[in-house]
Amino acid sequence: MSAPTIEKAEARLAWALMLPAIIVIVAIAVVPLGWTFWESLHFDDLRMPWLGRPLVGPANYFEAVTDTRFRQAIAHTVLFTAVSVPLQLLLGLILALAMSRAVRGRGLLRVSVLLPWSIPTVVVALLWRFMFDSQSGIMTALLADAAVVPNGFAWFVDPRAAWVPVILADVWKMTPFVALLLLAGLEGIDRSLYEAASLDGAGAWQQFTAVTLPLLRPAMTVAVLFRALDGLRVFDLIFVLTAGGPGTATEPISLYTFNSLLQNLRFGFGSALAIITFGMTFAFALAYIRLLGRDLTEPAK
Amino acid sequence: MNGLRVLSTLAVLAVSAACAAPADTTLTISSSGVGAEARLLRRQLERFAAQHPDHRVELRTTPDASDQRHQLYVQWLNAHAADPDVLQLDIIWTPEFAAAGWILPLDRFDPKPDDFLAAAIVANRWNGQLFALPWFADVGMLYWRTDLLTAPPATFAQLTADAARAQREHGARYGFVWQGARYEGLVTVFLEHLGGFGGQILDAHGNVVVDSDAAVDALRFMRDSLRGSDPVVPQAALAWQEEQTRFAFQNGDAVLMRNWPYAAALLRDPQQSRVAGRFGVAAMPAGPGGMPTAALGGGQLAINAFSQQPEQAYALVAFLTAPEQMLERAREVGQYPTRPAMYESAALADALTVAADEVREVVQHAVPRPATPVYAQLSEILQVHLHRALTGQQEPRPALEEAARDMRDLLKRTGLAP
Repeated sequence: MSAPTIEKAEARLAWALMLPAIIVIVAIAVVPLGWTFWESLHFDDLRMPWLGRPLVGPANYFEAVTDTRFRQAIAHTVLFTAVSVPLQLLLGLILALAMSRAVRGRGLLRVSVLLPWSIPTVVVALLWRFMFDSQSGIMTALLADAAVVPNGFAWFVDPRAAWVPVILADVWKMTPFVALLLLAGLEGIDRSLYEAASLDGAGAWQQFTAVTLPLLRPAMTVAVLFRALDGLRVFDLIFVLTAGGPGTATEPISLYTFNSLLQNLRFGFGSALAIITFGMTFAFALAYIRLLGRDLTEPAK
Repeated sequence: MNGLRVLSTLAVLAVSAACAAPADTTLTISSSGVGAEARLLRRQLERFAAQHPDHRVELRTTPDASDQRHQLYVQWLNAHAADPDVLQLDIIWTPEFAAAGWILPLDRFDPKPDDFLAAAIVANRWNGQLFALPWFADVGMLYWRTDLLTAPPATFAQLTADAARAQREHGARYGFVWQGARYEGLVTVFLEHLGGFGGQILDAHGNVVVDSDAAVDALRFMRDSLRGSDPVVPQAALAWQEEQTRFAFQNGDAVLMRNWPYAAALLRDPQQSRVAGRFGVAAMPAGPGGMPTAALGGGQLAINAFSQQPEQAYALVAFLTAPEQMLERAREVGQYPTRPAMYESAALADALTVAADEVREVVQHAVPRPATPVYAQLSEILQVHLHRALTGQQEPRPALEEAARDMRDLLKRTGLAP
């Protein structure tokens, strides 16, 4: 047999082996997505069945882009992600470094750091809501004692202050996840590189910037990608913590979509919002991997 | 979303198949499944069944949370489910369900609408036909502390002055509390201020008039109560619903509270209330150019358009809305009758936990929310803009102008513009 036929046979086998996975992906991702897109081209309001379900083409998309509430929701989503992810990366890095150095009580430290991450988001959101309650919240009381805020300060009524518990809750919950990813990256760095660096006379800071950071880049890239994708889709935390208020000052895209789709039962318009959200998240992921994530898709050198 | 409809149809069919034993003779009604209200209804249903031996009557329990119940009904009725035959509706749903063709016009049963509260009948009409009968009335009212004030304030200016003085002289923590979270409750509070200043959301022809000068004055008054130089309403109230305001009032922290009738029975209970015996109820005050206004809520009974037995369903509606059942309801669960004539009777005065003439005073001022199939969407637009203005993100006038513009767009888009 000649080489090309073997290659062909192998390719065929490869496709056959991948087929089940492809079928599953098509069935659970591509088909619903296509269905949602088709729905987004219709006017379909369950509350107004007398208007029928006419095909309206891109009308729902036009409505979305001219809708200030939707544009604000995009800004809120980006703001939330842009503030909380860098904080998590920074704190996660510090935690990971501390965990990799600690000799005594290492296991206990790692377990305890992971605790916030293991709590369901809805519970976390309620906890922080109670802590920032204007009347009985411990954070409100502590910060009022420290004269940072007035007594009985109503966080969730102030369009800027309402972000504080939201961001803090997300950072508190998700930093351990970032720390764990970075810790795995740290453990993967060859110790001999540090020995070589110190023989060459590099100090601790130089070792950190010249050895640790560059070699940690793949892990940091993954951590940021995961967190940013979660941030762009944030729903449950804000739904429970502020419900998007005051007004719509903390409303992210996913909450507005939920609101249009399931509260107002505007299936056509809500589907258009869902498709836009998907498109944005997907575009971000693609661009991010293209620009920064070469290490993820290419074999290590 | 045909798939979804098929799925929900299947689910409903499965549920009805499981529940409906002798199919044609079982009459069903959807209502609350918890507490004293459900116990009372079950007893009344048994009485009805005793009078109509050819029928079995079953209660389909549905969620008490208004949004959830609404969502469930929309799923059922979209799937043309014949069960339940009788639906308990929130007063703001009737035109929506009527326009969708999900409930039957009642006129052919000769329902005698003149016997009921005019405001409730207005809310239950759509396109000139009556689609539901008012079962019990919820009205927004002013709770006031009889130990801190000598009389309830009759005007909004007096309310502010009274509240501020009681805060100063008696050290009360809050002057006035109401439901300021961004939800339906905020719209009812606004409606009461709005009526007090002589404004409306929609006028008699269905035009959006929520950006009138009176409306701006009303919202400005609410904003200044919260954010003025001498605020009497706490900022925290902008995150409060009914229960948080009740807790504040029942702990003795507030001089005045706007709330629904349910609070009265709880406030009278010395086990949990520090103000038992030290509060009264009154109509909300009026401002210049308006009338005291009580937002009208409460349960309505309508007949499922897909019901196989509309005649029997109406017999049940008529039975449940008869004076005898209403009186029992007032006595046992404190829900107010919707028949004005009953307020003249001594029996009702005995049944109620608060003075019947005070209740009658409030009920007389009941005002419905706009009767339109798109009420829920109108309300959401209003909620967002009211909350923005009250939390200082927007001035009252531009907030209401924006809300009015969005509301007009919505009415135009849905073909409901006058």
